[in-house]
Amino acid sequence: MSGHDSKYFSTTKKGEIPELKEELNSQYKDKRKDAVKKVIAAMTVGKDVSSLFTDVVNCMQTENLELKKLVYLYLINYAKSQPDLAILAVNTFVKDSQDPNPLIRALAVRTMGCIRVDKITEYLCDPLQRCLKDDDPYVRKTAAICVAKLYDINAELVEDRGFLEALKDLISDNNPMVVANAVAALAEIQDSSARPIFEITSHTLSKLLTALNECTEWGQVFILDSLSRYKAADAREAENIVERVTPRLQHANCAVVLSAVKIILLQMELITSTDVVRNLCKKMAPPLVTLLSAEPEIQYVALRNINLIVQKRPTILAHEIKVFFCKYNDPIYVKMEKLEIMIKLASDRNIDQVLLEFKEYATEVDVDFVRKAVRAIGRCAIKLERAAERCISVLLELIKIKVNYVVQEAIIVIKDIFRRYPNTYESIIATLCESLDTLDEPEAKASMIWIIGEYAERIDNADELLESFLETFPEEPALVQLQLLTATVKLFLKKPTEGPQQMIQAVLNNATVETDNPDLRDRAYIYWRLLSTDPEAAKDVVLAEKPVISDDSNQLDSSLLDDLLANISTLSSVYHKPPEAFVSRVKTAPRADDEEFADTAETGYSESPSQGVDGASPSSSTGTSSHVPVKQPAAGAPAAPAPMPDLLGDLMGMDNSIVPVDEPTKPSGPPLPVLLPSTTGQGLQISAQLVRCDGQIFYDISFDNGTQAVLDGFMIQFNKNTFGIAAGGPLQVPPLQPGASARTLLPMVVFQNISPGAPNSLLQVAVKNNQQPVWYFNDKIPMHVFFGEDGKMERASFLEAWKSLPDDNEFSKEFTASVISSIDATIEHLAASNVFFIAKRKNANKDVLYMSAKIPRGIPFLIELTAAVGVPGVKCAVKTPNKEMVALFFEAMESLLK
Amino acid sequence: MISQFFVLSQRGDHIVFRDYRGEVPKGSAEIFFRKVKFWNDDEAEEAPPVFNVDGVNYIHVKVAGLFFVVTTMVNVSPSLLLELLQRIARVTKDYLGVLNEDSLRKNFILVYELLDEVIDFGYPQTTSTEVLKSYIFNEPIMVDAGRLPPLGPAAMFMQGTKRMPGTAITKSVVATEPGGKKREEIFVDIIERISVTFSSSGYILTSEIDGTIQMKSYLTGNPEIRLALNEDLSIGRTGSSTYDYRSSSGGGAVILDDCNFHESVHLDSFDIDRTLHLIPPDGEFAVMNYRITQEFKPPFRVTALIEEAGPSRAEVLLKIRADFSANVTANTIIVQMPVPSYTMRASFELEAGAVGQTTDFKEGSRRIEWNLKKIIGGSEHTLRAKLTFSQESHGNLTKEAGPVNMNFTIPMYNTSKLQVRYLQIAKKSKTYNPYRWVRYVTQANSYVARL
Repeated sequence: MSGHDSKYFSTTKKGEIPELKEELNSQYKDKRKDAVKKVIAAMTVGKDVSSLFTDVVNCMQTENLELKKLVYLYLINYAKSQPDLAILAVNTFVKDSQDPNPLIRALAVRTMGCIRVDKITEYLCDPLQRCLKDDDPYVRKTAAICVAKLYDINAELVEDRGFLEALKDLISDNNPMVVANAVAALAEIQDSSARPIFEITSHTLSKLLTALNECTEWGQVFILDSLSRYKAADAREAENIVERVTPRLQHANCAVVLSAVKIILLQMELITSTDVVRNLCKKMAPPLVTLLSAEPEIQYVALRNINLIVQKRPTILAHEIKVFFCKYNDPIYVKMEKLEIMIKLASDRNIDQVLLEFKEYATEVDVDFVRKAVRAIGRCAIKLERAAERCISVLLELIKIKVNYVVQEAIIVIKDIFRRYPNTYESIIATLCESLDTLDEPEAKASMIWIIGEYAERIDNADELLESFLETFPEEPALVQLQLLTATVKLFLKKPTEGPQQMIQAVLNNATVETDNPDLRDRAYIYWRLLSTDPEAAKDVVLAEKPVISDDSNQLDSSLLDDLLANISTLSSVYHKPPEAFVSRVKTAPRADDEEFADTAETGYSESPSQGVDGASPSSSTGTSSHVPVKQPAAGAPAAPAPMPDLLGDLMGMDNSIVPVDEPTKPSGPPLPVLLPSTTGQGLQISAQLVRCDGQIFYDISFDNGTQAVLDGFMIQFNKNTFGIAAGGPLQVPPLQPGASARTLLPMVVFQNISPGAPNSLLQVAVKNNQQPVWYFNDKIPMHVFFGEDGKMERASFLEAWKSLPDDNEFSKEFTASVISSIDATIEHLAASNVFFIAKRKNANKDVLYMSAKIPRGIPFLIELTAAVGVPGVKCAVKTPNKEMVALFFEAMESLLK
Repeated sequence: MISQFFVLSQRGDHIVFRDYRGEVPKGSAEIFFRKVKFWNDDEAEEAPPVFNVDGVNYIHVKVAGLFFVVTTMVNVSPSLLLELLQRIARVTKDYLGVLNEDSLRKNFILVYELLDEVIDFGYPQTTSTEVLKSYIFNEPIMVDAGRLPPLGPAAMFMQGTKRMPGTAITKSVVATEPGGKKREEIFVDIIERISVTFSSSGYILTSEIDGTIQMKSYLTGNPEIRLALNEDLSIGRTGSSTYDYRSSSGGGAVILDDCNFHESVHLDSFDIDRTLHLIPPDGEFAVMNYRITQEFKPPFRVTALIEEAGPSRAEVLLKIRADFSANVTANTIIVQMPVPSYTMRASFELEAGAVGQTTDFKEGSRRIEWNLKKIIGGSEHTLRAKLTFSQESHGNLTKEAGPVNMNFTIPMYNTSKLQVRYLQIAKKSKTYNPYRWVRYVTQANSYVARL
C-alpha cells in the first residue's frame, strides 16, 4: 500500500461516484483495493456511497484478507438499508465460512452476525453450527459471540436450532478464550430472558474457576461477573470459591481486581469463621488501595466503590485513611470522592490528622471543593462527639479568614452542630454574628436567622439583628422568609416586649397580605391564630424541644446498600443507584403474567385511536353532561369582549396563517358536538372538536350550510390559549352549496400562541367566510389529546418518579359518576388515549390501577385509580411536577372514564 | 456491553466512530461532547469519567488530548471499560508509533481493523499487540513524530538526557523500518511517581511511591526474559500502622505495600530469588506495578515563607535543596505557589548568577511560578518575590497563600532503591546480543509543601 490513507478523503470532485465505480471494477487488484478504501473513507465521513453496493460486493471474492475485511466493513454499514442487495453477499459468506483459512471462517461468521437483516440470519444458522464446533479456537470464540448476536436479532431461532446447548457445551472447551466468550454470550442471553438459561452448577463452577486462571484479563472479568451470581451452598464452598478467586486481587487490571472484590464480599456473607473474614479483609485492603495509583478515571470508579464497601465493612480500610488524602494534582471529581471517604473513615483516633487536612483544603482555590471541605468538618463534628469541640475551633479559625463562601458554609454546618449538641457551644454565637452583614446566600442567611431565633434569649440584641433582616423581607427568597417568620415568632415568645411585638406585627402582615407564596402565608396564619388564641400553646408548639439530629455520612439505607454491594464494580455502584433506575433494556416479554399487559398495549395501538377519543369527547367538549348535544350559544355575539379585538387583529393581520383553500375533504366518524348553532350562525352550523390521531392533534370540524347562498372562502383562527394550540395548516373547505355540509381534519400545532396565566381549557375560535360576518365560538380543550404515545413508563421509573415528587404534588379527586365495569376494558380504553397501564393490585374489594401519561415538554402524570368494579365512584390520585395542570387533567380523566 | 466506541478531538470532531449494537440513539457523540464541555455550566470543572444522559451511559478517558469514549445501555463494569479505553490507546500507539489526531486519521482503516479484533459485539476480545499481530493486515503509515507532545511515562526519556535513542518511543512495534531489518532491542523502565506532603514545619506528613516497571520489547522471536530484582525485597507491611514512619528500616530492605503483575509474568521463583520470568509480548506493557509507603528520603526539601512587609505588601521566600548526589541532575522543575486573591503585582529576585531560571506571576490563576531548567544534586536555590496587594491583608497570609507545589523529573534516579539486578535474555545464538536499556526515573506526582 502506498501513500497516506487520508488522501482517500480528498477526492470530492464532481462525478466521484462514477469514478469510484469504474475503479471498483478495475482489473487490477491494487486499484480495486484503493477504490474500496476510498469508499470506506467516504462512508466514515457520512457520505452516502450505498449506490456502489453491488460494485463493492463484487470485490468480496478475493483471497486478499485486507480487501475482504474492507468489503465486510462496508457491508455491515449498508446491509440494513439495502437488505435485498445484501443477499448477494450471502453465497460468499457461506463459502467463506468453509474456507481453509480459520481467519476467513471466523471473519465470515463475525460479519454475518453483524448484518441485522432477517433474510441473512436464516443463512447464518448452518455456518454458525459448523463454526461452533470448529477445530480452531479463534473460530469457536467468534462463533460463541455470534450466538449472542443472533439471539438479539431472533431469539426463537437460537432456541430452535439448539445454539444454547452448543454454547453451554463450550463452557467445557479446552481453550479459555472460548470459555470466556461462551460465558459472556450466555450471561447476555440470560439478561434478556426471564427463563433460566444459564445456571451455574457446582460442575460449571469448577470449570469456570479453572478457566479463570488462564484466560485473558477481559475473559477473567466475564467469568468473575458470572460467578458473582452463584450462591454457594455453604460456608465451606464459599471459602473454597474465595480461595480460588483471591489471587485475582494481584492482577494489574483494575476491573479484574474489582470483580474479584465483589465475589469475595458476596461469599463473605456466608462465611462464619471470624478469623477467615478478618483475614480476607486484610487481604483486600492493599489491592483496594493500589487502585488509587491508577489513572484518575479509574480512581474515581474505585472511590465510588470503596465508599460503599466502607459503609458495610469499615474495618477493611480503617487504618488507611492517609491514602485518601487529596493530592495536589487530583481532578476535582476525585477530590470530592476522597472527602466523602475521609468523613466515613474519620474516628477519634485519626480526627486530628483529618482536621488538619480539611483545614488545608478549605483554603484551596476551587470553590466547590472548599465548600465541601468546610461541610466535611461539620459532619465530623456531628459524627464524633468527642472531637466536636476541635472541629468547631477549626471552623471558627476559618471564619476568621473572612472568605465569604467559607464563612457562609461554616454557618450552615454550625447550625447543624447546634442541633446535634443543643446548649453546648452557644458561646461562639457572638463570633458568628460578626459576619452577619456579609451573608448573601439564602441557605447561610436562613441558618443564621435560625440560630438567632433559637437562641434569642441569650443574644442581647437579637431583636436588632432580626430587624436588620426584616427590612428586606419582601425581596428575600422563600427559604429565608420562612426562617425569618419563625425566628420572629420565637423572639416574641421569648421576649414579649414592645420591640418584638411591633416586629411580629410587621412580619405577619408581610407574610399574609403581601405574599403569594402559599407555604409562607399558611405558616403565618397558623402562627397568627396560635398567638391570638393561646400564647402558651404557641410556646409549646414553637419552642418545643427539637429531636437531636444524627450524622448523615452513612446516608444509604441498608437494603439499598446491600443491593449496591451486590453490584460492586458495575455502573450501579458508581451511580449509587440500583440498576433498574437507569437501565432501560427490558427483558423480552415472557409468557403468562405479563401477557395481559402486552395485550393491552398492543390493542391500544392497533385500534383506531380516534375512536376512543371520539367516544369520550362529547362530554368533555360540552363540559356539563354527556347527552346535551348542543353547546350553549356563544352569548349572541362575541362572548368575551376582551379577547375579541385580539382575535380580530390576528385574523386580519396575519394573512399567511389563514389560507383559503377549496379542496374537498372527506367527512368521517361520528357526529361532532355543535359549537355554533345555526340560529346563531345565521343558518351556518359549525361542529368541531379536538382529536388525536397517529400522534398528531387535529381539529375535526364540520360545516352545515343552512343558508340560501353558497358559502366559500372559509378561514379559521384560534385565540391564544393555555397550550398554544394553533392551526398547523390551511382550512380545507370547498365552497358550500345551500344545504350541503363539509367535514375536515385540520392539523394543529401546539405551543404557538400561548396565553399567559393559570391554565384553563378554553379555546376561542373565530371562523369567517366571504359571505358572512366573523363567527366566534368557544370550545373546550380536552387535555387527553396531548397525552403522548411516549407516555408509558417502566415500573421502576414510575416508582422512582413517584417517590421523588414531594407529597404536595399529589392530588386526588373522586369521579362519583364514573363506573368501571371491567378492568381490562378500562385499561384498553385508556391506552387508546395514551394513558398507559403499569401495574395493578387489589386492596380489599377495590382494584388499584397505576398508570402513566405524558404531555408535551415531558411533563408526566403518575396516576393511581381506585375503584370497585361495577360500583359507581372512581378515585383518581395523580402526582405530577406541574401542579397547575392538575385541574385540567382531572377534567380529562373524568371524561375518559365516562 | 459496549454499544459504541468513538474518539473525538478536543474540538469535538469525530476521528473514529464505531457502532457495535445500533441501540444508542443518533447524536450520542454530540451529546457526550456538550455534556463534557459544559459540565456544571462551568468549563473549569472536569466531568467525571462515568455519567448517564437519558439512559445512555458514557464512559471516557482523555489520552493525548483526545477523548476515548464508549457508550453502553446496560449495567456493566465501568473499570473494565476504562481499562479497555486506555488499552486501546496503547495498542493504537504500539501500531502507529505516535498517537494523535493526525496519525489516527491517516491510519483510519488500520484503526477500524484493530477495533474489529479488539471488540466484538461490544465484548473486549484481546488488547495484546502480540496477539493482534496475527490478525491485522494493514501496515501503519508513519507520521512525523517531530514536535509531537510525548505520551506515557516513558516519553520523559525524550527530553533532557541524550542517553537514549529518542526515536524508540515513537517507533511502531510492528512496522518494518526503512533499513529493512529491525533493530533488536528491549527497554525496561523503572518509573516512580512520588507524592510527598511537607507540613509547615518541614515535617513529612505523607509520602508514597507509585512505581511501574515498564517494558517495551522489539525482540524478534519472543525469547524468554529473566528480570531479577533486589534480593531483600519484601511485600506487605507487617506492622500495620501507616502513621509510623520511623519504624521501617531506614536504609536496607525495600518493602512494598502491594504489587501486581502483568499476566505474562511467571512468579514461580519470585518468592525464592525475586526473579520474574516472562516472555514479553510485543508492545508496551507494565511488567509490575508497586506501591510503597515506607519511609524514603525525599529528593527535594522545599521551604516556603510568606511574611507581611508593610500594610499591603508581602514577601515570599522559596528555597529548594536537592538532596541527591551530584552526578544526578533533575530537569524541568516547576515550583508553583498560589498567592492571596487580591495580589496585584509580583516582582522577583533570583539568586546571583542564576542560569536557566524564569519566573512568572499568573494573574488569572493568582499564583507565582518558578521554572528551573535543571538542578544538580546537592545544590540549593532560592527565590524571593515581593507581592503588592490591592487591599490590606486579613492578617492571615499563610491561610490565603500556598501550598507550594513542585513538579520535576529526575532521570537515572530511583527513590525506592528498587533495582533490576540483571536482565537476562535467553540466547538464540552466540552472536545474538540485543540492546538492553534499563532506565530509572523519578517524577513528582503530588509534591507539596504547606505554609
